[in-house]
Amino acid sequence: MTAITDRQKLQYMAAKAADARVNVELETEGMILNMGPQHPATHGTLRIVARLDGEQVISAEPIAGYMHRGYEKLSEVRSFPQVTTLINRIDWLGSFANEVPFILACEQLMEIEAPPRAQWIRTLLFEMSRVANLILFLGDMGVQLGAVTPAFYAFRDREFVLDQIEAVTGGRFHPNFDRIGGLLDDLPKGWLAETKQVMVKVRRFCDEIDDLLMGAETFESRMRGIGVIPPDVAMQYGLSGPNARGSGIDWDNRRDNCFGLVYPELDWKVWTHPDGDSYARFWVRLQEVREATKMIDQLCDGLPGGPIMAKVPRIIKVPTGEAYVATENPLGEMGYYVISKGGLNPFRVKIRSASFNNVSITPWLLRGVYVPDIITILGSLYFILGDIDR
Amino acid sequence: MPQKPDIPGKGIVKGLGITMKTALETMFPDGPLKPPSPSKGAATVQYPHEKEEPVTRARGVIALKIENCTACMLCARECPDWCIYIEAHKTLAPPRREGGKPRSVNELDRFDFDYSLCMYCGICVEVCPFEALFWSPEYEYSETRIGDLLHDKSRLDQWMDTVPDFEQYEAGSEMKVKKVPR
Repeated sequence: MTAITDRQKLQYMAAKAADARVNVELETEGMILNMGPQHPATHGTLRIVARLDGEQVISAEPIAGYMHRGYEKLSEVRSFPQVTTLINRIDWLGSFANEVPFILACEQLMEIEAPPRAQWIRTLLFEMSRVANLILFLGDMGVQLGAVTPAFYAFRDREFVLDQIEAVTGGRFHPNFDRIGGLLDDLPKGWLAETKQVMVKVRRFCDEIDDLLMGAETFESRMRGIGVIPPDVAMQYGLSGPNARGSGIDWDNRRDNCFGLVYPELDWKVWTHPDGDSYARFWVRLQEVREATKMIDQLCDGLPGGPIMAKVPRIIKVPTGEAYVATENPLGEMGYYVISKGGLNPFRVKIRSASFNNVSITPWLLRGVYVPDIITILGSLYFILGDIDR
Repeated sequence: MPQKPDIPGKGIVKGLGITMKTALETMFPDGPLKPPSPSKGAATVQYPHEKEEPVTRARGVIALKIENCTACMLCARECPDWCIYIEAHKTLAPPRREGGKPRSVNELDRFDFDYSLCMYCGICVEVCPFEALFWSPEYEYSETRIGDLLHDKSRLDQWMDTVPDFEQYEAGSEMKVKKVPR
């Protein structure tokens, strides 16, 4: 009996050893997937190092800094009017919106206020740049998921908005139109009527996107429930703009922290979505474009007359002091902390850009998702690389 | 939020319908019964053959009115990337009135714009106190050698012919329409 038991034991051990051999052969190793620095889904040179287990991401780390241009340091050796040239290259899709908070911070330090007409035109161009920026997101999100048609429609209709911005400022992408104390120039004749026609086209584009993407089942199934950010996590990571509002946080700098722009005089609404997934972020941005077109219509109708430039010395010296002004840019909260020591140049400029905080949530968000969803999540967070790296 | 469609695939068919509609509008811009002319319905233009008219304020190239320039160097000083090179010497100009003293003026020896460095910010045009610099919407001056992008004063003066008149302002504006010296 003992012999048989030994044989059974031996067989059992042999079977175990065979199993172990098979397991060793089938055992999978982790893989490191290196997305970027050049990858179409990252809108620039963001590198994402993802450790994979099969199809699942164990951990992901965003590596930024490949496009660092040193604008904070460059601002210290440029005079105040020259800084606007640099900073409208930060978020190149909505570039007029980058100038406004810096100019407002300088105006706060110099204790001057732009005349009402200048404030209205500023708000008008601010919303135009928001429309130009977010239209591209709406088309681009389709490309991330494999639908190429919306991108062409987006580029077609964005061109109308950019043409209107160019007709006023002279530059499609780099307006450099805002000045301390007002604006460089007034609107050309017939511009307001053309802008209202363009807004009709933009609203038609929004309806098209509604039918093309929002209603499509494939789009919905790839967006719903992907990359859910709960409100408390969004707060902890400092998300702002449509990403925070997509998580149900009712916070908008235009309504809650408005300084120097005329948003309180307009009739508009802050859209939020409780879900916090990619679909919610897309939906919030689509509604924001619609809301912006309504705002632009109101701004065109109620534009007051008057001068566009306050009394400002020819050589601008900003008195000693510190100021922080943040506005709600297309990507989220963008703020400038300007320290002046009374000279021609700012002593220090700290730029708080929205994309840097928005992209910092990716290690938390990408843990445990599947590889195709990385693209969906990165696309729906919507960052601009120039805005991350400055 | 959109309602979930009852029929499976309804959303995709709707999207395809929009694509189809746009394609037909591009192919038949004059109407369904007219002959197709996609080049008319397209949003793009075939660039070297047909050109889009840039807007009046478009920042294409900076033109220099040599007679107005006094070599005050304000533009060269305010330029954020220092792409303007100016050299001048003092000469005596004939007097404005009969029997007056000859005037001392600065005559330009060199006025160069390095368009390979220029950021097209327009600060030089803005700060010029003597109306010597103007924006022209002309944009076709690309070169095969980067050194040829340095435009000297005679070439900058030629751009003056392409400078359009300033536009009228929108109602409610208190700005005065400036004039381009011809």
